[in-house]
Amino acid sequence: MTQEEKIKESLVNKFNYLSVSIKIVRPRRISIEVSLDNFEPVFAYLARDLQFSHLCTITGLDEPEKLSFIYHLAADSGVLINLKIALPKNSPTLKTVTPYFPGAEIYERELVDLFGAKIEGLPSGHRYPLTDDWPVDQFPLRKEWKADKNA
Amino acid sequence: MHDSKDFKIPIGPQHPALKEPEGFSVALKGEKILGVDIRLGYNHRGIEKAAEERTYVQDIYLIERVCGICSHSHSTCFVQAVEEIAGLAVPNRALYIRTIIAELERIHSHLLWLGVAGHEIGFDTLLMYSWRDREVVMDILAAITGNRVNYGMNTIGGVRRDIDAQQAEDILKALTILEERTKYYIEVATQETTIIKRLSGVGVLSREDVLRLDAVGPTARASGVKRDVRADDPYAAYAELSFEVITDDHADVYGRTVVRVKELMESYKIIRQALKNLPTGLLTVRAPRKIPVGEAISRYEAPRGEDVHYVKSNGTEKPERVKIRAPTLANVQAVKHMLRDRYLADMPIVVAAIDPCFSCTDRTVALKEEDCARAKVINWQALHAFGIEWYKQQGIDFTELNKKLQDRLKG
Amino acid sequence: MSLIKKIVTWARIKSPWILHFNTGACNACDIELIAALTPRYDLERFGVILKGTPRHADILVCSGPVTKQIEDRLRRIYEQMPEPKFVVAVGTCACSGGVFDGCYNVDSGIDKVIPVSAYIPGCPASPKALIDGVAKLLTSLEEKEETKRSGR
Repeated sequence: MTQEEKIKESLVNKFNYLSVSIKIVRPRRISIEVSLDNFEPVFAYLARDLQFSHLCTITGLDEPEKLSFIYHLAADSGVLINLKIALPKNSPTLKTVTPYFPGAEIYERELVDLFGAKIEGLPSGHRYPLTDDWPVDQFPLRKEWKADKNA
Repeated sequence: MHDSKDFKIPIGPQHPALKEPEGFSVALKGEKILGVDIRLGYNHRGIEKAAEERTYVQDIYLIERVCGICSHSHSTCFVQAVEEIAGLAVPNRALYIRTIIAELERIHSHLLWLGVAGHEIGFDTLLMYSWRDREVVMDILAAITGNRVNYGMNTIGGVRRDIDAQQAEDILKALTILEERTKYYIEVATQETTIIKRLSGVGVLSREDVLRLDAVGPTARASGVKRDVRADDPYAAYAELSFEVITDDHADVYGRTVVRVKELMESYKIIRQALKNLPTGLLTVRAPRKIPVGEAISRYEAPRGEDVHYVKSNGTEKPERVKIRAPTLANVQAVKHMLRDRYLADMPIVVAAIDPCFSCTDRTVALKEEDCARAKVINWQALHAFGIEWYKQQGIDFTELNKKLQDRLKG
Repeated sequence: MSLIKKIVTWARIKSPWILHFNTGACNACDIELIAALTPRYDLERFGVILKGTPRHADILVCSGPVTKQIEDRLRRIYEQMPEPKFVVAVGTCACSGGVFDGCYNVDSGIDKVIPVSAYIPGCPASPKALIDGVAKLLTSLEEKEETKRSGR
């Protein structure tokens, strides 16, 4: 069994519902889609039990109608898991993963500024990467946002 | 212990119109740092949005310019993701050429770093020396690619230029010179007591901290964490080449220096192998203008650490989404931690030691004493000068070493 | 007198103090500027000295396309410089925004914010281009001086 298959087996044994949404894309690349309710247990299992101890970054995506967030987790073996969660655009609320990865703070702030994500539990701090006077309801990386040339 | 996350710093009336946020805010108790807040974003240009509005080929040129030191890193990381989505079989010769340019970039970057580090501790002659050597690499890169920086070497599907037999020979000659000089740097780093005293015990980051704070690159490797994308998740030609992942156990700025100079030696080794085994064949395969629907995530070991690019395509000639996470961002938490409970005088070299991909020199620094209502705002130059002066008073002075190296430069 | 000699003479009389400021650049131009000061290119033979504060600077050398974050500071630095003062835009981004022209967080060039006296293009501007640019600027300044002196 390849290392990817072992990981898949571990995950499916623990979380039956993942059997449909885990895909081994290629050697060292696995993708998983998960619902909001199941996000934390799966994330915790990956980070703590399966030793995916490195969070590369978090990618926000505007898939019109919903906002998706992909957590890119890597293990020492080089295997990388893309854990994706999709949320409705009018309530893109997530819980912070900083208890697992303190470094996630800056990735989460980016999602707040550029996509309008709401991250529960994010410690107070400066916004990143936009200026303090950037309007709070303007999210540049949302598809409908266009730079106003006259601004 | 003061948590830098909770720490707020009120800016006094001396700068009422100060809209530009401080790059660094430091809470001080006497000469010691209680906590540091780092504010980034001053070089946020809106690249990811722009990438969606341009074609994949135009994006190569845009993304090369994310960072003017690791331009090949960003360019390669990006095209790798696109090539994976499109299912392109990049020719081996191209992979080897990418690897050679990648290692030449690492060399110029580490030599650059050596100079900057020297400057931060008052050893300016080291900057003159290492940047002189760096010019050897710049000449080679310019000769092969046509530019000193922003090489434009990549295209989707391969590389745009070849390395011919004469150029290969020139590279080997340059490596011989560089290797000789690097041996001298290793000597200086490991034997000059002024350097050892200045850098040891500074910016300490334990192995546990590296893992907890998820640091990358030489910063992580200097604390004994064997983390290097070239070995862990090989790309380009690395799977076929033999090299060591350099680690060190000092876990401080000294360790980070040792790791970088030793990595130079590994880079020479890798380039020699790659040139010796350079496969024949095409430089590129044809890539379609419209990239089929898909997504991919690409990782690359830039001189500063892991670079990550995620690309999603929608079947058109423009990407749906491009996400870039440059290595420095991954080390920000580690820097904040390293500065806690250290002397303010250490700040310049500790920040420089992660080899940040932002220009510190224009950053303002707000200093707030514990018992003082207002913060004093200084510029980085002032902090830099303070650090050197403070250490001079501790008996660590680079005047002698500067003179010694000056004489050697003249000779 | 050859061009270089003229410049070196001028510089010796009025050694220009330079303030370098990065307005959100990728750093390539900044590094080439520092490289220009190293022995191989030796910009310092023109008497050029890098200063840390706007209050003593004659020439403001700017790289970068000017991000929104840095705009106000750029203006303030320019205002703090004493007359006569000159601004050099180094690199294609500083000249026109370069590849970042049209990006939402940039102004696309130094001259969108403050007046520019000289433009040194290049991506990045190489040390040789920098020397050429500085030489041209100093020559034009010398010519201005001469014009003033001859009373026109």
